[in-house]
Amino acid sequence: MLSILIWLPVLAGLAIACLPEAIMTPTRSRQVAMAIALVILGWTGYLLTQFDVQSAGLQFQESFDWIAPLGLSYRLGMDGLSLPLIAINSLLVYIALYCSDVNLIRPRLYYSLMMLLAAGVAGAFLAQNLLLFFLFYEVELIPLYLMIAIWGGSRRGYAATKFLIYTAISGALILAAFFGLALLSGSFSFDYEQLQNLELPMTTQLILLVTIVVGFGIKVPIVPLHTWLPDAHVQAPTPTSVLLAGVLLKLGTYGLLRFGLQLLPDAWRVIAPALAILAVVNVLYGSFVAIAQTDMKKMVAYSSVGHMGYVMLAAAAATPLSIAATIAQMISHGLISALLFLLVGVVYSKTGTRNVDVLQGLLNPERGLPLIGSLMIVSVMASAGIPGMIGFIAEFLVYRSSFPIFPVATLLCMLGTALTAVYFLNLINRSFFGRLPETFANLPAIYWKDRIPALIVVALVIAFGLQPGWIIRWSEPTSLALGTLGDRSTTTAFVEANPLTLPLSAPALVD
Amino acid sequence: MTEFLVDSSWWVPVYGVLGAVVTLPWSTGLIRRAGSRPAAYLNIVMTVVALLHCVILWTDLWDLPALHVDIPWLKLFDLNLYFSIELSRVSLGAAVLITVLSLLAQFFALGYLEKDWALGRFYALMGFFEGAMTGIALSDSLFSSYALLEMLTLSTYLLVGFWYAQPLVVTAARDAFLTKRVGDLLMLMGVVALSAIAGTLDYAELTAWAETAELAPLTATLLGLALLAGPIGKCAQFPLNLWLDEAMEGPSPASILRNSVVVACGAYVLIRMQPILSLSPVVLTTLMVVGAITAIGASLVSIGQIDIKRALSHTTSAYLGLVFLAVGMQQDEVALMLLFAHALSKALLYMSVGSVTLTTSTQDLTEMGGLGSRMPATSLAFAIGSIAMVGMVPFGGFWAMQIWAERVTVGAPGLLLILLLVNGLTAFNLTRVFGLVFAGEPQAKTRRAPEAPWAICLPMVSLIVMCLLVPVMLLQWELLPSLASVRSPLSLAIIGSSVVGFGFGAFIYLNPAFEHPLGLGWKSMQDILAQDFRTDQLYRVTVVFAVRRGARLAAWFDRYVVDGMVNLIGVASIFGSESLKYTISGQSKHYLLTVVIGVILGIASLGWLF
Repeated sequence: MLSILIWLPVLAGLAIACLPEAIMTPTRSRQVAMAIALVILGWTGYLLTQFDVQSAGLQFQESFDWIAPLGLSYRLGMDGLSLPLIAINSLLVYIALYCSDVNLIRPRLYYSLMMLLAAGVAGAFLAQNLLLFFLFYEVELIPLYLMIAIWGGSRRGYAATKFLIYTAISGALILAAFFGLALLSGSFSFDYEQLQNLELPMTTQLILLVTIVVGFGIKVPIVPLHTWLPDAHVQAPTPTSVLLAGVLLKLGTYGLLRFGLQLLPDAWRVIAPALAILAVVNVLYGSFVAIAQTDMKKMVAYSSVGHMGYVMLAAAAATPLSIAATIAQMISHGLISALLFLLVGVVYSKTGTRNVDVLQGLLNPERGLPLIGSLMIVSVMASAGIPGMIGFIAEFLVYRSSFPIFPVATLLCMLGTALTAVYFLNLINRSFFGRLPETFANLPAIYWKDRIPALIVVALVIAFGLQPGWIIRWSEPTSLALGTLGDRSTTTAFVEANPLTLPLSAPALVD
Repeated sequence: MTEFLVDSSWWVPVYGVLGAVVTLPWSTGLIRRAGSRPAAYLNIVMTVVALLHCVILWTDLWDLPALHVDIPWLKLFDLNLYFSIELSRVSLGAAVLITVLSLLAQFFALGYLEKDWALGRFYALMGFFEGAMTGIALSDSLFSSYALLEMLTLSTYLLVGFWYAQPLVVTAARDAFLTKRVGDLLMLMGVVALSAIAGTLDYAELTAWAETAELAPLTATLLGLALLAGPIGKCAQFPLNLWLDEAMEGPSPASILRNSVVVACGAYVLIRMQPILSLSPVVLTTLMVVGAITAIGASLVSIGQIDIKRALSHTTSAYLGLVFLAVGMQQDEVALMLLFAHALSKALLYMSVGSVTLTTSTQDLTEMGGLGSRMPATSLAFAIGSIAMVGMVPFGGFWAMQIWAERVTVGAPGLLLILLLVNGLTAFNLTRVFGLVFAGEPQAKTRRAPEAPWAICLPMVSLIVMCLLVPVMLLQWELLPSLASVRSPLSLAIIGSSVVGFGFGAFIYLNPAFEHPLGLGWKSMQDILAQDFRTDQLYRVTVVFAVRRGARLAAWFDRYVVDGMVNLIGVASIFGSESLKYTISGQSKHYLLTVVIGVILGIASLGWLF
């Protein structure tokens, strides 16, 4: 059942790329890709109906031996952590395809890469073998690199190379940690189930965990490993930005939870205070840098850095409630940042600039972009955590669940909501309010196809904001299982025995 | 029937929002051919429905104890969030007041915004506004109150920014949002902390918890101060007061609501939180100090204004300061009564002002004069509104102040001085505005001013009647003290301060022989008042400075240090490989030399090591 999510797009991608041009015309390739994306979306919907929300374990499992001597087996499974992410991936792939430029160059390569990307991400979220996860994690890199390098903006070469190098380092670190885990487990197996509940000395655990955290931290991204993100976003075409912000960043936090917290829970609790501090840095640093930006895309990119900080904070707290908050915030950020990139993409394609100092008065009802502007206001407010939209409840859950564990860090992170309002209000005030200058008086016509993707996402943002239970119900048992992992007493004992190893676990933050 | 209405009471806030949603085709410009009028009518109908619902519930439940309706929303592990509704005399009364004023303001807008192309959008926002406010009135949990206050912030932003093409409007909308956001943020911190500490956000449970809670004094103080920040922002109290003044750039029908019931919503939440605030004496003291500073400061500042709407908006802050003082002395009933009397009279004053600005197309007091005979209904509305607002027998303002003086000043006689000062200054200021606008010689912009159209006069006259009936309503609700108390020295002092204020104002501004100064005399004094005691500079050198500098520093650091380091590594590796490539010469003697040097260095290092 789960393999369909991976292999159907791969087959479609192959077909698009390999069939002769006569059969697979550019229009046809777009149609095929969108049809497959729609089938995948439907299949995800079907999986949602079949999913047992009462169970914390893996569902729909598939398992084949692949290369046994290497410990590589083809094992897939889905639980309450991967399910929402798979759903958002299926949705955003469809939306990204929908908003792709119809007349882009090398369409067949583009659509086959899109399919490959969808498959890679789905595979990474589903893989239950560490080596298999790593393969998918690397596969997803190729299409992204090519998309930025071929269809990107003027500095695409620089941005794509930077992205590639950063992510390759991330992959190398993760692979090293995975090999360490497999070797130390004694059986040299990469199967996820066998690696749980390993009895390792705390120091070994910490070394492995820090490697994993740095590896996935590049993907999240954690400051100061984040500078690939703004460049990649600014140069990437709109659909790629949508997927990058909406889904791919979540691979980082997913990896942290799945391979950090779930495999090494005791060590996780030891470094949790440090993670909370990193989260604070992410939130404040990302927000402050965003305030100083004039390029809309860069602003949204840095806001992503800030908002992923909330995910980190809740993940560090690691209580049942905070794991649920982590998942909610991942969904919330996925939808809202995708929406923001969609809208910025429309503005850019119609006005030819993203500079907030140049743009003005776009809300003008006759000659501006009034509906896009209204949707922008809604999405900005959702990002700033105004109630009635998903951003509010996700952030509220993050704060509420992290506060008992890290009170000071949580309060500092909350400053981020006010700073978010500052930079996004700046964006609205400068580019949408005011008088429309003559230079923008003759904007190209805007069609419904420009608006529909954003409208769909806005509808979801509001619907989930009014009924947050719809996204949280899937992951309750999983959150409970993840949040109760590990023994807090061993952690405390370790920190007390080695007071110098972690000066960061200040009493004010762990009481 | 009653049971059905009780069960469906959560619809009361939804009506307004539903009206806003139904109006979307007009407000987004999808329907252009039919014009925006249907949108306006739809919203008015929704408000009428909400009003009827509230009124019927109010009369049915009048004699019953308060009812609670819980609507579960999100249950997750130990966190249980629900939207609870309280149906009591007070909460339903507040909802009725809000819907009545909203209805009148929407009617008023039919006349005021008749020619505006975005009428549909305006009504959608008003519906949203009304929904959020009635929600706050009925809400019985701090969580939903907080959420609705945030929605109010959003709708204030959009309403102030309604005419977004004007530069002043743009900054006003931004400042309104950010100022309130500062308050909201601190309040959110309080709400989150309270939810974690007390384990509940239901008002009744919180009150019960507060009675037995044993918090460290520091925790209680910080918690209380954080919670206090929200109402300070909403009620335009110092230091978060300037947004209300700037918000006067928005359309007048929204200003009617903003100055009467929106600010009252903040105070209403404050009253509900009072048991938690009382946990710390520091918080109560802060509350009183903030209220006192704002009451006196804003009364003075209002006299220095030459913008007709701004001159009145500062008195709103001043009156809310009095409400803060009442809450600080734990006199919730007094606070509510003052809010009620203030809301009606302030709404009437703003209707009158809206009518003036519509016909004269100016908000500048120096350009007005002689409108009294030309706009009789409008001037009557202003006069009645003024008298009803200050302490004059037998109008609403007097009774509220009389009870305030009786109960709040117990043990703190100094507070009476504040009351008398605020009352006197307000009376003076209202007379000043009245004199400048309605008396004196007509000027260029007022010479041909006609009376406002019926769509404006009808709600205005209805509100005049309501203002005059406030004492009767108070009598009905058994809130009036005995008539004998009118002769008490306190009452005489209040009436005396009003008379002195009116008298001075009349002497200066209604006396044709006297040249009308705009404010209090002295140029420098006048300037400092007109600039709101330079509060905006206080913002500029503190918060704005910190955020702007912090942002620049962070961006610089990000670009040149973090990213610079990355680029440096990139350049260094390219440079390294570029220079190493010259060692590949293709000649074996060079390779041999390299090997020899390598071996020598290797041996040398071994020798040095061992």
